[in-house]
Amino acid sequence: MDTRTKEAVRYLGYGRHAIDERTFMLIQESFQELEKIADVKSIYRIFEISHLNANELKLGKMTVKSSSLCKNLKGCDLAILFGVTLGAEIDRRMRKYEITDIPKAVVFQASAAAFLEEHCDEIEEKMKNEFHQLGQYLRPRFSPGYGDFSILHQKEILEMLDAPKRIGLTMTDSFMMIPTKSVTAVIGVSKTNENCHKKGCEICSKTDCLYRRS
Amino acid sequence: MLLERLGKELLFFDGGMGSLLQKEGLQPGESPENWNIEKKEIVRSIHRGYFEAGSDIVLANTFGANALKYHDQKYALKEIINAALENVRCAAQEANKEKYYAALDVGPTGQLLKPLGNLAFDDAYEAYKEVMVLGEQAGADLIHIETMSDAYEVKAAVLAAKENTSLPVFVTVVFDSKGKLLTGGDVPSVVALLEGLGVDALGINCGLGPEQMLPILNEIAKYTSLPIIVKPNAGLPKQKDGETYYDVAPGEFAKTMQEIVKNGACIIGGCCGTTPEHIRAMAEACKGMEIIKPTYKPYTMVSSYGKVVELGEVPVIIGERINPTGKKKFKEALKAHDLDYILKEAVAQEERGAHILDVNVGLPDIDEVAMMKEVVQELQSITNLPLQIDTVDAKALEAALRIYNGKPMVNSVSGKQESMDTVFPLVKKYGGVVVGLTLDETGIPETAEGRLAIAGKIIEEAKKYGIDKKDIVIDVLAMTISSEPQGAKTTLEALKLVREVYDVKTVLGVSNISFGLPTRSIINANFYTMAMQNGLSAGIINPSSEAMMNAYYSYCALMGYDENCQNYIERCGQMQADKPATSVNNQFDLKTVIIKGLKEEAHHITSELIKIEKPLDIINQYLIPALDEVGQGFEKGTVFLPQLLMSADAAKAAFEVLKEQMGNDAEAQSGKDKIVLATVKGDIHDIGKNIVKVLLENYSFEVIDLGKDVPPETIVEAVLKHDIKLIGLSALMTTTVVSMEETIKLLREKAPECKVMVGGAVLNQEYADMIDADFYGKDAMQSVYYAQKIFK
Repeated sequence: MDTRTKEAVRYLGYGRHAIDERTFMLIQESFQELEKIADVKSIYRIFEISHLNANELKLGKMTVKSSSLCKNLKGCDLAILFGVTLGAEIDRRMRKYEITDIPKAVVFQASAAAFLEEHCDEIEEKMKNEFHQLGQYLRPRFSPGYGDFSILHQKEILEMLDAPKRIGLTMTDSFMMIPTKSVTAVIGVSKTNENCHKKGCEICSKTDCLYRRS
Repeated sequence: MLLERLGKELLFFDGGMGSLLQKEGLQPGESPENWNIEKKEIVRSIHRGYFEAGSDIVLANTFGANALKYHDQKYALKEIINAALENVRCAAQEANKEKYYAALDVGPTGQLLKPLGNLAFDDAYEAYKEVMVLGEQAGADLIHIETMSDAYEVKAAVLAAKENTSLPVFVTVVFDSKGKLLTGGDVPSVVALLEGLGVDALGINCGLGPEQMLPILNEIAKYTSLPIIVKPNAGLPKQKDGETYYDVAPGEFAKTMQEIVKNGACIIGGCCGTTPEHIRAMAEACKGMEIIKPTYKPYTMVSSYGKVVELGEVPVIIGERINPTGKKKFKEALKAHDLDYILKEAVAQEERGAHILDVNVGLPDIDEVAMMKEVVQELQSITNLPLQIDTVDAKALEAALRIYNGKPMVNSVSGKQESMDTVFPLVKKYGGVVVGLTLDETGIPETAEGRLAIAGKIIEEAKKYGIDKKDIVIDVLAMTISSEPQGAKTTLEALKLVREVYDVKTVLGVSNISFGLPTRSIINANFYTMAMQNGLSAGIINPSSEAMMNAYYSYCALMGYDENCQNYIERCGQMQADKPATSVNNQFDLKTVIIKGLKEEAHHITSELIKIEKPLDIINQYLIPALDEVGQGFEKGTVFLPQLLMSADAAKAAFEVLKEQMGNDAEAQSGKDKIVLATVKGDIHDIGKNIVKVLLENYSFEVIDLGKDVPPETIVEAVLKHDIKLIGLSALMTTTVVSMEETIKLLREKAPECKVMVGGAVLNQEYADMIDADFYGKDAMQSVYYAQKIFK
């Protein structure tokens, strides 16, 4: 099973259980559809980091109080702000399935999430290589909502990226991103290669989570 | 004065502003508008640079100056806008520029509109209205709406400009290299929308460099009859060290801009990365060039947010099924506010091959204005087929035209003076392609010539409003042949005549022809073919009718409209392959089939079973045990969500068969326990709530679904109105659990008897206790168990 299928299965709550054939087929169907209708757009920008104290830092003009982000960015002078979206058509399609075919809706939404992760990983990998050539190393990406990095920073991040205009990524008053299948993240840039494999899911303290990556 | 020059001579816009301010130290995320006051020397010197370079039109620094984007700032919008326009005027004076135009620059709000996002169309409109009124007061010569990537937001902005100011309106949008907006619209759909709304000039800015804009310009020029604006970036954005830069030099920029003028642009300028040097080079290179004057384009185009359907040579299909006339189920759905039923009808027609959907929701007992508005918006959240607004209520028509995303069809106007006086002003204002019925005060003429005359009258009257005949589609009316033996002949003659004499497109409600006859589809299909042969551009038909669709695909194949007969082969190859598949797998019993989640089999087996067993026995012996088994499996972790839902779907298919058999056992219906479900205010993800809904319905609860982003007041109102004992609330994010808490508080106050169950990604028992919920459901099945407990 490829990585994205594994991820979709995980989002569907199968845990370690084997997936049934029909759901597996629906996942594959969803990926095919996503390849066709997703309009993947991304943007990134680099900002200087000032570490204020153990749980506060400044990223460009944005001040963030978050010990988990500080930990993630420890030793970094620069950070990449990064935004990706799969585009608005996915939301329309999801809404359609919610009305006409609810099993498909559930599988489609999980597949879209996995598809989005896959694209984030790809873009991150590309940046990693580019920066590596300059002798710099990237930390794993860290998104608002991870640990104690408040989701309320979403607003500033979108502004700093000029994301609505550049890639059509917007936010509601309640800090939900639209299109819904979108990600923003901070990626630390450091001169030393710290060996940290930990990504979003594994660092979460909710160890009994049904969706946890084992 | 500007309008007199427009499209007659080449006019020069200015170039980039934001990118220059950034060079001067504007920080990412900082409001450039504040610089109109705080660093006005810099802003003025940039404007001045453009005037000196040759710009005729300079944009005031007001791109983000709207209440939705520019708020919590130190200055009032009025101060900002006054200062911004003053800066343009001072710069012109400094540059000794006498003949110039100061444009109010209007950019996007930065939020997405409903139904995709949660900004209400009216709120976007109000924000734009405010800045535009201020702009006119501050002395702007025109409004330039630019860098837009959502057609719907553009519509709000243009309406705000046209309804509240008398300034010329220019609009430019951002297309990507594939010619698509970020929200999915293509070139012809944007042109159709903007021409319908009556803007003065339209075009493209930002996103691309001049080179990449050429093909898009050509496509715009193919469709529009208006002057075209082109304002490219200085190349495609490139990134170095995380900074965006553009590297097309002034000389190269100017050279491509000459090409752009040769290809039909008559107002040119620059966007991100362009400087006064770019504009100077451009103005010098292009000065004195002959422009291609805008010419009339005859296309009859209707559009949705993302797609255009052209009524032309090849006939199109208008789906007639969203209409309560003669449909009991549809009427019930309307009365019960069951929008899902209507939406499913739309999807079914789309899948069957409809190109446009007629929408009629008129019933004596319902508020048609509100219903029409809601249905149009909901339909546009799931289908990109253009809609045909079908109503006799002028208020409902206007409400729908206003909220519609695109250029719709309007059904209809007639030759009656009163009808034309009502409908034409609305079509003129909002844009649309209107169906003209050939009947007037004296009724429907018996002869083809009589109908032709009324068509002529309609076309003439429309002209007075400035509505071109390309936006009129004539319906010569199909009369029932069982009462009027010559009816079909007259209609066919009239079709031909109208096409020949007025060269307008035509539409027809085809199935009228067979009223009162047996096996109507046979007559309908034959008449349909004859009508197409006589010049029918769009038939209003039932796309689920095999006979009609066969007629359509055959006609297209026979007339050479179907390349390599591809569509025909696809359809008929399918028919052959379908035959053996009618034998459904019958090796399982109903219980097994539901556990396995086999929907079609469940339907089929239930239809057989019902011949020998009573509905209630079927429910008790097969359905309930199957659902229980699946539910328990889900609890234990041997059955997973997709499987649970497939079983639910299969059970639903079985229930539907039973329901039909049990008929309108009104008592069985009204005796159901009612539960209200809602996704709380601010929250727009409602897949979780929809899953709960499906399961509750499976266990024969009646669900009143209030949808997503529902304010506490609406929820309480529904609870009181239906005397509800149990409500389910869903919230996905920490930021929206707040509105969940508010809702519960209000419920406790107004409806203390009502139990509240909550669910959603960020909730847990502790959180649920904290906001005073009665029950927390960790998954969808829990809500079923809790409901069973409450209604025991």
